[in-house]
Amino acid sequence: MLRLEKVQTHYGRIEVLKFIDIEVNEGEIVCLLGGNASGKSTTMKTILGIVRPTSGRVVYRGEVINDVPTAQRIKMGIATVPENRRLFPHLTVLENLEMGAFTRNDKLGIQEDLKRVYQLFPVLEERKNQRAGTLSGGEQQMVAVGRALMACPKLLIMDEPSMGLSPALVDQSFEIIKEVNKQGVTIFVVEQNAQAALSIADRGYVLQTGEIVMEGKASELLKSDKIRKAYLGEA
Amino acid sequence: MKKTFKKEKLLKWSRINRQVLIGAVLFLAFIFPLFNLLGWMGMVWVRLGVKVAVFVLLALGLNIIIGETGLLNLGYIAFFAIGAYTTAIFASPRLGFHLPFWLLFLLSGFFAVAFGFLLGLPTLRLRGDYLAIVTLAFGEIVRITLNNWESVTNGPGGIPGIYDPVIFGLRIDNNFEYYYLTLGLIILCLILIRNLKNSRFGRAWNALREDEIAAECAGIHVSMAKLLSFMVSSLFAGFAGCIFASLQKFVNPQYFVFMQSVLVVCMVVLGGMGSIPGVIAGAIALDTLPEIIRHTFAFWLPSFLGEDFLTSFPPLLQNFLFDFDRYRMLIFGLAIVLMMIFRPEGLIPSRAWQRELHEIDPRLLEETQMIRFDLEEEEKDLEV
Repeated sequence: MLRLEKVQTHYGRIEVLKFIDIEVNEGEIVCLLGGNASGKSTTMKTILGIVRPTSGRVVYRGEVINDVPTAQRIKMGIATVPENRRLFPHLTVLENLEMGAFTRNDKLGIQEDLKRVYQLFPVLEERKNQRAGTLSGGEQQMVAVGRALMACPKLLIMDEPSMGLSPALVDQSFEIIKEVNKQGVTIFVVEQNAQAALSIADRGYVLQTGEIVMEGKASELLKSDKIRKAYLGEA
Repeated sequence: MKKTFKKEKLLKWSRINRQVLIGAVLFLAFIFPLFNLLGWMGMVWVRLGVKVAVFVLLALGLNIIIGETGLLNLGYIAFFAIGAYTTAIFASPRLGFHLPFWLLFLLSGFFAVAFGFLLGLPTLRLRGDYLAIVTLAFGEIVRITLNNWESVTNGPGGIPGIYDPVIFGLRIDNNFEYYYLTLGLIILCLILIRNLKNSRFGRAWNALREDEIAAECAGIHVSMAKLLSFMVSSLFAGFAGCIFASLQKFVNPQYFVFMQSVLVVCMVVLGGMGSIPGVIAGAIALDTLPEIIRHTFAFWLPSFLGEDFLTSFPPLLQNFLFDFDRYRMLIFGLAIVLMMIFRPEGLIPSRAWQRELHEIDPRLLEETQMIRFDLEEEEKDLEV
């Protein structure tokens, strides 16, 4: 569904991504692990078109989308839950959700998706007229996911969904990801929390200073010594 | 049960009150010039009314950029100048053109929008302070061009003798007619703004104001949305410029200085960014206040208290009160500082900004208290 082929990305003269290859198949949950400054967020920005790769190809559903602007990519079915959620804090929950459906014109479909989001997160329906900035961290995460789902995405890209959440909420957050995936949305998660991410993912990649150093089935990665040492805090 | 009913009634009342208020203001705006016919006020005030109306148009236009989209434009008066000069050039003996008014009107709007597009295209990638600096520079460039392009604009001498507009065979040549013409245009623009605000564009602008990256991730074409906001606001300035030139019968570059841009920004900020009634109130207040103060001390108070009551004041104060216009900017500066401290959301704030600037919205608090009260009442009912 999504393929990065030998993608190289620069910020000015600094090479951030060094010829990385990533593939996400339809219906999968794929996670990208990596520490600070490994290039995780840049990978995500490259997929969304916020930064453009200097070489290599980004292929989405058989189409090279290197030069497609961000707004167009959203229309093509790539939705995102950005880092730190980035809600519109002074708009209400409902207005936030409606912004997610900005590129769509089908009123009936939007209403249906709104119902679907409310079914997934009943709290949001209760709080639909509350302004998003006053919600708790977990609820804000729900709004962010809900907003992304309102775009009726085929591929959902999540940047650090566990960031700033309590351990209990992290688990809940990954449960939600699993649930969304069951409804037919392919998911690409960028995460630091390797344990949580690998426990729900089908496959995983490990990024280190801009290079893919490991890849494989999530269950295998979980067992790998290197991962256990680097990310799971076991000596 | 009783209490919820009461709450609904309250809500309904506040809505009706709002409508009544808007109706009253509109009515007052319509009959305002008639006070002159009844002999209650001088022609000066009708004239001032027209000027205020032009600035209301300008403030409404600038509000689209500042209030709705959250960008700062410090060269807004340049678009006003472009509109005014378009009218001056194509309807005066200067180059011998005399286009019909409706065409002039559209042309003024068109040129303003065209320049808005040209300025916006390369600069709207800039954020915050940088955009403000570029727009400020643009404002100065336009003024200096008008000042130096002698063959067309007659330089500092300006363009005199602009023809009266003729609409449907009616020649607009007195303050009353200008007043109603501008008022009509304001109402038209208000309808346009209202529709824009509730459209996709309006929502895109508000999202941009809140968080640019999130807006982009929601699929909003950021530069397009900004450009459109820039162009719509330029359109308003172009229209206002056309009316202004016809009214004054004369334009010169000295009128379109940076301070005028600042004045319009003040109107928007003092009135309440993003709030249409607020912006209108801001424009009216800033335009009429100097005149009201001058009249109070020059005419009204002396007529009550005797001609020479002012001579008992210290000379500095006398000077200040008579020459208020000169100290206008000083007072506005002070007013803005005070407003930012005590009422940052403006005179009549929009709901979104109010939420933005006060962590707890008092209305929300009131509502939750009411709901709690309802629950308690219900519990009591159950106990009985």
